[in-house]
Amino acid sequence: MSTTDVVAPATTDELVAALARATPMTRLLAGGTDLVNDIRRPGRQTDLLIDLSHMPALSYVRHDGDMLRVGAMTTFTELQADPLVHEHAFCLERAASQVGSAQIRNVATIGGNVANASPCADGATALVALSAEVTTLDGSGHRATRPLRDVLLGSGRTALTDGEAIVEFAFAALGNEHRSAFAKIGWRTAVSVARLSMALVVRFDPVAEVLSEVRVGLGAVGETAFRDAVLEGLLEGRPADEESARILAEGCADAVRRSIPGRYSLPYKERAAVGLAYDAWNALRICPPCEPAWG
Amino acid sequence: MELLLTVNGTVWEVSARPTARLIDVLRDQMGLSGTKEGCGEGECGACTVIVDGKAVNSCVMLAVQALGKEVLTVEGLAASGELDTLQQKFVEQGAVQCGFCTPGMLMSAKALLMANPLPSDQDIRTALAGNLCRCTGYKNIVAAVRAASGQETVAMEVPSEKEELLADLAVPGLAPAKLDEGGE
Repeated sequence: MSTTDVVAPATTDELVAALARATPMTRLLAGGTDLVNDIRRPGRQTDLLIDLSHMPALSYVRHDGDMLRVGAMTTFTELQADPLVHEHAFCLERAASQVGSAQIRNVATIGGNVANASPCADGATALVALSAEVTTLDGSGHRATRPLRDVLLGSGRTALTDGEAIVEFAFAALGNEHRSAFAKIGWRTAVSVARLSMALVVRFDPVAEVLSEVRVGLGAVGETAFRDAVLEGLLEGRPADEESARILAEGCADAVRRSIPGRYSLPYKERAAVGLAYDAWNALRICPPCEPAWG
Repeated sequence: MELLLTVNGTVWEVSARPTARLIDVLRDQMGLSGTKEGCGEGECGACTVIVDGKAVNSCVMLAVQALGKEVLTVEGLAASGELDTLQQKFVEQGAVQCGFCTPGMLMSAKALLMANPLPSDQDIRTALAGNLCRCTGYKNIVAAVRAASGQETVAMEVPSEKEELLADLAVPGLAPAKLDEGGE
């Protein structure tokens, strides 16, 4: 413990130099709301702590052509209040607003949320549904971009190598013809870790009245947030009606059944999944509110 | 390692381990024990302080993260020896019982009022959602924050548990449900 060294780079050059020193025992400190307790656990050895909180250049949301670019050190408070996120990534805004408490949102970052790789990370669930790409920087100054789904490997596991820092997320900015939503179920109303979460993105043609480009992100269902391609396929080309809501809910419950067969919480979660899916569907506001027919 | 931290307007030079949390340095090195540690994992908010104008949990923040920033603790609210308006309203409204959550409540409320001088009850409740109090039931705390913002303290438009339950039980087309309260 006492041998931990701390560096707080303020520029990209300083960050690269710090990352070049990284070993398997090096940790990147973003907001710290998960990491601080982790590194203080008995037996944890950290040789170098790279504090990213003095890197203002990693905190931004900007429009770049058809893309929205979000710096890794952007906090949830910032995401929640950002007009570009509101307009072009509504599900991310809703997810950000439901992370922890005001105190947590003020420091916790989207980059930390993904790198920490909790299966229930709200930010990751929204970014998965937005088909986000991740750009990283390493100790040789090399930048690499890959799909988020290739970075999230499992609970607490990512494809990030030692000394590889997430610097940016990018995804296609949603336009007027798109709708997105995020819904979550936790132990209590606020300040709660998701027990189930869903981010939905659809393109809705108001003339043809059909859904396309359907993307369904599920959190706290599997080892990591993921998109359910089968469910997306079932909804593609369908009208925005009660039957579509039912298909979404049934698919969500199916995903839960597949992910935790036999678990004590399954009877609760498969029912909760139905309610969650209807919450997310209704938040899209593309048809009159629907309710599940509880059988 | 040596750290220079600005707390309540004063620059402190302290010696701390690199993994020392902000709350450890505040309480143990600076003697600012008004900041309380409850859960130690960012759930209860008793450790809330303000860093650069924003409420944060000092139990899940390292002291090094506060370098170059302005930290305000509950001691900073009454630095001149006189209670801050917010503290005064907590006293007047009976928003304190055991008092353990109070410093954190005050700092979350202070951060809210610094950013939003005329918050709605919903704003207040959102700002205080990360501060747990097991004594007061929150009502007087919300009233105190509202009073500190200079707004009249009126009965809040928050449905009671009974009203929420009845709304849940409502079936379209049927007469509203009634609760049988055992004739009490």
